[in-house]
Amino acid sequence: EDPATLIANTLRIESESRLVADGAVEIYYQGRRLTAHRLVYDRAADTLTIDGPITLTDGGDTVILASQAELKADLTEGILRSARVVMSQQMQMAAAEVRRIDGRYTDMSRVVASSCKICAGDPTPLWEIRAQRVVHDQQERQIYFDRASLRFGGVPVLFLPRLRIPDPSLKRANGFLMPSLQSSTTLGTGLSLPYFVTLGDSRDLTVTPFLATKGARTLELRYRQAFRTGEIELTAVGSRDALKPGQTRGLLSADGRFELPKGFELTFHGETVSDRAYLLDYGRSDKDRLTSRLEITRTRANEHISGRFLSIQSLREDEPSDSLASLFGDMTLKRRFSLGPLGGQGGLTFQTHSHTRSSDDPFDTADDADLIADGRDVLRGRIRADWRRDWIAGNGLVFGVLGEVTTDLYHIGEDATYGGTYSRTHGALAAELRWPLVKAGKAGVNHVLEPVVQLVWAPSGTEALPNEDSVLVEFDQGNLFALNRFPGSDAVERGARANIGVNYLRQDPDGWSLGLTFGRVLRADDPGQFTTGSGLAGRSSDWLAAFQIGTAAGLGLTNRFLLDDAFALTKAETLLSYDRPRFGLEAGLLFHKADPAEGRLIDTNEIVLDGRFAIGQAGWQARLMNRYDLKADRASNAGLGLSFRNECLSVDLSLSRRFTSSTSVKPTTDFSVSLELLGFGGAAPGPSRQCRG
Amino acid sequence: QGTEVSFGGLKADTGLPVEVTAESLSVNQADGTAIFAGEVLVKQGEMRLQAGEVKVEYDATGKAIDRLHATGGVLMVNATDAAEAAEAVYTIASGEVVMMGGVLMTQGATAIKGDTLHINLKTGTGRMEGGVTTTFMPGGN
Amino acid sequence: CGFTPAYGPNGPAGGLQGHIRLAGPTDKNSFDFVTAVQARFGRTKDPRYALAYTITTEAVGVGYATDTSITRYNLKGSIDWSLTDLASEARVAGGTAENFTSWSATSATVAGLSAEEDAAERLMVILADQIALQILAASARFAP
Repeated sequence: EDPATLIANTLRIESESRLVADGAVEIYYQGRRLTAHRLVYDRAADTLTIDGPITLTDGGDTVILASQAELKADLTEGILRSARVVMSQQMQMAAAEVRRIDGRYTDMSRVVASSCKICAGDPTPLWEIRAQRVVHDQQERQIYFDRASLRFGGVPVLFLPRLRIPDPSLKRANGFLMPSLQSSTTLGTGLSLPYFVTLGDSRDLTVTPFLATKGARTLELRYRQAFRTGEIELTAVGSRDALKPGQTRGLLSADGRFELPKGFELTFHGETVSDRAYLLDYGRSDKDRLTSRLEITRTRANEHISGRFLSIQSLREDEPSDSLASLFGDMTLKRRFSLGPLGGQGGLTFQTHSHTRSSDDPFDTADDADLIADGRDVLRGRIRADWRRDWIAGNGLVFGVLGEVTTDLYHIGEDATYGGTYSRTHGALAAELRWPLVKAGKAGVNHVLEPVVQLVWAPSGTEALPNEDSVLVEFDQGNLFALNRFPGSDAVERGARANIGVNYLRQDPDGWSLGLTFGRVLRADDPGQFTTGSGLAGRSSDWLAAFQIGTAAGLGLTNRFLLDDAFALTKAETLLSYDRPRFGLEAGLLFHKADPAEGRLIDTNEIVLDGRFAIGQAGWQARLMNRYDLKADRASNAGLGLSFRNECLSVDLSLSRRFTSSTSVKPTTDFSVSLELLGFGGAAPGPSRQCRG
Repeated sequence: QGTEVSFGGLKADTGLPVEVTAESLSVNQADGTAIFAGEVLVKQGEMRLQAGEVKVEYDATGKAIDRLHATGGVLMVNATDAAEAAEAVYTIASGEVVMMGGVLMTQGATAIKGDTLHINLKTGTGRMEGGVTTTFMPGGN
Repeated sequence: CGFTPAYGPNGPAGGLQGHIRLAGPTDKNSFDFVTAVQARFGRTKDPRYALAYTITTEAVGVGYATDTSITRYNLKGSIDWSLTDLASEARVAGGTAENFTSWSATSATVAGLSAEEDAAERLMVILADQIALQILAASARFAP
């Protein structure tokens, strides 16, 4: 039995066994702490009679405030009067009487429970649960309500004879999670009510039924398990609806991550869907291709190793699954090093790649839009070596020599025109001149101006290999000075050329900065490798112009343009984000000229706006979202949201409509309402209400 | 189970004669006081008071002791209770003992610390003041 | 016009070449980022500065076609970085570099996959160059 400690301003020993402590009284006993104004300790009866204001904390997250109390000396038993129980600084329960029972139960009568802040002038909280009796079991960390009624703004809304809620400190407990109401023009109005089941310390299962008026019935199961070296999450969703009567639709997905010996890591993500329209019909995601992957990888200084399998399920109308490359296997080893006496920095890459199509028709049919034999399977190996070294001249000029060599071995099967084995060795050698200039301007402004010229020599000649993985070529500051701008291996950039560019940066002490980059590629002669849509076609490429503005106040504007010789736009991309406490805007602009070789038959011209702004001071926020297809002169999708969040309530209303459609998917409007009482250990509370006056 | 710890131990019969022994004694006729020094021991019935030095103040008649003023580290023992402090003043007539300076009072298993302790030997009551700290055994009875 | 060569005789950035140590990469993106930064400041012989970085990327679908297919993706990247002088352990430069690259998804899956990976590699080069310029801009204030 360890002793209890009592501290006070004065201690009167009044009689046989009566001790009276007065002024700033504190008692500590086995982690429990009580503070009070006055306390009488009756040694014979071993009880404490305490006058408030009393606070009793029991080491956990629960604090009991009371005006008067009689407790056993060890603070485990007894009655506290006109008490308030505060849990995790959120949930508060005011009770006429609180009874403490053997240090575990807090039994309260005539209780008002709420996590809303109560202002003096306006005593009714936003929501409250009134109950005849409430028992808080601190060991099980559950709160049991008897004859409870939920009231909003004082108006009774729901009566529950018995209600059990986990106390805020409990992170995992069996029970219902907050329901949400969704309605969509395709599925009707429905309610989803998730139920969470803990299966021991390291596993849990969430069962979410969803019922909707137009006959849609869905059951979602999500299973999670944590292991010593990793974790997995499996989701299975089954649905029956009027859209495809008599058919069971749904999706399966699996995610996992495991640490393997020697620093390797295994990650996998699997995803498959019953039919093309499911994800859009149920508003789960607007993905049009599902990539499943299993990868073992390790990355350390100077080394990257990756082995992976990928399979892609396309949900697009014009991509039948058999003639689409769907199964991929890659092995990659990358090493970086310095070449001993030669110095500089070199890299070696060993890579194998294979992709197969389930069809074995060696000819291209009209099944799909590509010009590739329906059954073509490809297996290739690549060795790539690169090296660069820089010297700095007296006047600060950075002179660099760099080069890369690739040797590829291909075997193409089930392709009448290109079947067979190929090998190709290609390389590029370049000299680079870079002259970074700095200027520390007045009033702390910094400037950097960096002209760069790169002269590249590479063998010309034509490609014998069919180009399948290097069709989609981009031109930006990331590959302005790359020796081979093709993304894949099937094509390599040929011929002599000069890459010219200039970078400029201005940094202002007030926190805003401006970055500019201009560049162009000038070729000795036109190898005819690039399409007009990439901006790299012809003897001289389009002008590349990129600028970026950032301010300390939260504005970020990033632009990139490709302009042809007549300064007409080949491509323009802009991202704007402006983030302020009370409002924010994310905007995007995209223009990309049509390029049939890249599969883009018409111009892409789209603008996206996503704005949020706070309304009033109480915690309301509105959100507007619109994605507008300027080419088709019509919105692709639009959305409107209204949300409220304060310290005890979170409400989300959202209305969104997708205008795009295909043979299997109709345009859909979705509406959803979700309401969550904060303070039960669920979502974190928002900014608390301000009391006026 | 534990002994019946009562505060009765503070009670003492203040009417009994007071006996004082010490290594040396010096008397000051002018203000009627006497100073005992060196291993001073004051006995009254069961109550004992030890101190480094005790100044005794006699009443107007010069026969009866009016007040004892003990300094230099005082220890007072009375049946089951004991109290230690830097200084103590015992007014015989009222039975009031005031101990000051880092007072530590022990009663069986309970210890009480504080700045000043007022004990009324007649009523057996005591009051500790100033940053009082005590430990007690819940469920001791 | 007030500009001096950064690596020139009285330029501020002479002490950076070959003296910046980078935190070890943990995934493909950070591997490519380290490669791109070392292309600008050289591999580390005797480190005097340490560059710490946190990379986050997010792919966002854009260019929604009328038939619900997504024709293009933006890969948005952001790197929080800080450069510390190893001798004084003081942070001499830092900030957040943000930019994006993009790739088309209009062609078949094989082309889309390599375009996606190339976009990630280009994004790391762009962000590394941006940070390199910001280090050069700040070097006038901290380099000895």
